[in-house]
Amino acid sequence: MVKIFIDDKPVKVKEGTTVLSAAKQAGIPIPHLCFHSALIPEGSCRMCLIEIEGVPKLELACSTQVRDEMKIWTKSDRVVEARKGVLEFLLAEHPLDCPICDKASECKLQDYYEEYGLFESEFKEPKEKRDKKANIGKSLILDRERCILCTRCVRFLREITQTQELGVFNRGIRSEIETYEGELVNNNYSGNLVELCPVGAITDADFRFQIRSWFLKKNDSVCPLCSRGCNISIEFHLGFARIPRKKRVYRIISRENPDVNRHWICDLGRYGYSYLDEERLENFLTINEGKEGNLDWEKAIQLMAQKIRKLYNTKKTSRIALILNPWLTNEELFLIRKIFREDLNLERIYVAEPSQGEKDDFLLTSERSPNRKGVQEISFKSKEINLKEIATNTDMIIIFGHYLLDQFDSGDVKAALDEIEIKILFSSKDSELNAVVDLVLPTALIAEKSGSLTNFEGKVQSFEPALEPVGESLPEWQILLDLAKELKINFKYYRQFSSPAVILEKMKEEIPFFIQKND
Amino acid sequence: MKEKVLTKNFGLKNNFKIDVYLKHKGYEAVRKALREMKPEEILEEAKKANLRGRGGAGFPAGVKWGFVPEVDKPKYLCVNADEGEPGTFKDRFIMSHDPHLLIEGIIITSYCVGIHQAFIYIRGEYEAVAQRLEGAISEAYEEGFLGKDILGTGFDLDVIVHRGAGAYICGEETGLLESLEGKRGHPRLKPPFPASIGLFQCPTVINNVETLSNIPVIILKGAEWFCEKGLPKDGGTRIFGVSGMVRNPGIYELPMGTSLKDIIFKYAGGMKAGKKLKAVIPGGMSAPILRADEIEIKMDFDSLVEAKSMLGSAAIIVIDEDTSILDVLKAVSKFYSHESCGQCTPCRIGTSWINKIVKRIIQGKGKREDIDTIQRLANNILGKTLCPLGDAVAMPIGSITEKFRDELESSLSR
Repeated sequence: MVKIFIDDKPVKVKEGTTVLSAAKQAGIPIPHLCFHSALIPEGSCRMCLIEIEGVPKLELACSTQVRDEMKIWTKSDRVVEARKGVLEFLLAEHPLDCPICDKASECKLQDYYEEYGLFESEFKEPKEKRDKKANIGKSLILDRERCILCTRCVRFLREITQTQELGVFNRGIRSEIETYEGELVNNNYSGNLVELCPVGAITDADFRFQIRSWFLKKNDSVCPLCSRGCNISIEFHLGFARIPRKKRVYRIISRENPDVNRHWICDLGRYGYSYLDEERLENFLTINEGKEGNLDWEKAIQLMAQKIRKLYNTKKTSRIALILNPWLTNEELFLIRKIFREDLNLERIYVAEPSQGEKDDFLLTSERSPNRKGVQEISFKSKEINLKEIATNTDMIIIFGHYLLDQFDSGDVKAALDEIEIKILFSSKDSELNAVVDLVLPTALIAEKSGSLTNFEGKVQSFEPALEPVGESLPEWQILLDLAKELKINFKYYRQFSSPAVILEKMKEEIPFFIQKND
Repeated sequence: MKEKVLTKNFGLKNNFKIDVYLKHKGYEAVRKALREMKPEEILEEAKKANLRGRGGAGFPAGVKWGFVPEVDKPKYLCVNADEGEPGTFKDRFIMSHDPHLLIEGIIITSYCVGIHQAFIYIRGEYEAVAQRLEGAISEAYEEGFLGKDILGTGFDLDVIVHRGAGAYICGEETGLLESLEGKRGHPRLKPPFPASIGLFQCPTVINNVETLSNIPVIILKGAEWFCEKGLPKDGGTRIFGVSGMVRNPGIYELPMGTSLKDIIFKYAGGMKAGKKLKAVIPGGMSAPILRADEIEIKMDFDSLVEAKSMLGSAAIIVIDEDTSILDVLKAVSKFYSHESCGQCTPCRIGTSWINKIVKRIIQGKGKREDIDTIQRLANNILGKTLCPLGDAVAMPIGSITEKFRDELESSLSR
């Protein structure tokens, strides 16, 4: 460990730490543009220049390592002047696009000007004119006038994805970011470039001109589209009074987690959020009884409990089949085990599989569901689903999720279900399955629940709801608790569970796997 | 000056041929160094000789060689023959008229530091010069002065000539390394220094052509003799390149510390007929300018620093009264904005901004505050850039706008 002083404040850091990192640890911000903690320091923006006592020239905070007894000044007159100088240079050749630029309010140049600049422009020459809408690949658009040549995008593609689609071309003021001849950016992590770019030079077509970022609220969640469990934030619009909002979710961005996804998310997770708002099931559906949306939760739970009790009392629980899916949270799977396998002695519990996909050599796994490991650890074995077998041996089927349609043709599923007397479906989606069951209960999505998921490496990640459930929908864990209490088989046990957090604590007692390293 | 060191062969016919070179004590220094001296002894001599770098920075060569660590990696020597500093042409004379002198210097230096692979990075524009060099190198290989087991001493050395492609920034030592590695000539952050992390991440010595060409005489005549040829802390002779409105522009090998006034008026024949001296740039375009009344000065590293200029590449550009200082300013700003590599903010944008202002002044649309703005911008570049090119543009522009402000202001509209 070494002891240094930053603005007279004593700080203890490990040897080899950079001044920038040490200052961050001490809670002292030093402005920087080209530096990113996941990339090798570049030292080209010159924004992080600071003064070290005894050193004649100003030094870079991002690449200078601390030495014992070093005295650093981040706000001396020379430093303030240097910062203003760099800002002035950047702004001199920067277009005044703020009114139409998506990055407004998230832009480093704006932030730093507000904090360290606030000077009048003295640039009276014609600015460099460049392409403002270059298509560089996938959904990305590059505005070369806004680009400050921090080269974060170039270095990300060189060091992280190792695909090197972008480079710097030409020299001096004519320098530009450009793709190599005939190739465009074409990897599964292109969306990270938009987050990485400190200004509005790289934007994506998905978000461009859609909404001003200050209208969006941001909540944390976990991406459920594969089994990595990347940490994300969901940005959504609350809506204005009296003006209906065009959409709810506008953007998914990455959230740093050094153990799971570091700073990045893949394009699948970033841009595949339409399922949150589109084709949602918002109300109960009772097809066979010809009445739609005439139920409420109390009645629905009672109805379901009645039908189950009838078979339970006549010792015919072997005629009940349950189809789970690996999108359910750990807590929900645990409740299902408790209620159906233990209380009701159900053996015929199947797991529907969403189709596998191609994995890439970075974050995306081939397993395209978030909780297969949870399903395993809560000991539900993958029994193969034979539709005909289920059809002949079942009087009542309870299906969680629409995932049967991923595995089977909807015609075959209908044929099988037609032979079953009682069909209950828990679903969040307005799918074809809804038309072939008796009762559909609207459920919330992972983004709308609290609970935990187990990623493919065995890491349990808890999360809170980022969005409100839509319409009548409720999270499965809440429905299951109400069902359990209504069944009255083991009533007292379920009374203790006031929230998924309490369920998780109980799980740790009964399934040691869920005692994680940092407990 | 009686005894020439660097230019002694320049008048000989076919001086670039090895048989001519050998007839005039050629390769005797290599023989002495490889057969009679140990590498540590050579290093001591180089340090005692106070040989300072002739490329521009003036860093003591012996000290630089001493920084190379003993690690389990190959070591490299890069000869900086980029000669990009405007006004400089001395190295092309050495390489054209006495290439074997340079080769001898390369061999001895490599032997001293433990290097077996040397590169000569020569600017792309010097096509004919590169051919001369390649020819001399072939001859050296044939006669056994390069290649394996040189002179039966067991020392191996290969030399490769690599041509640049027209970038001043590739004369900056780390820009040179990047270019040699096949990448864009973007200078690197220092530390680490090339002596420990250089070419291909291996320890590398980078020296200028003229610097290395002094090594043979240091070996043959000794460090003390070398120091006496110049100044106590600044040994040897210098090739001064005089250009501009003088009667006899060209190269002049003279002792370190010769008076600038003498160089212009005694050796270079004084001003051309009818021309009067206005200003002198003493060390290549990146050296701060001197007024006509400031030329009573000794041409050595320390004296010029005291005069707030620099010896640099010892390229003396003589400016006469008929040349407008605005044109000088234009040459400076145009050159640096063209040559900026574009990596770091102050240089990339600053040089271009200054150039745009100068262009506007030349078009007759200059304003009062423009000179102040140019000075302020130069100040915002000075000391804040990734490589010394920032200082190389800020210092001359600062000195021109300071010392010739009146003349510049006369070209402003209001």
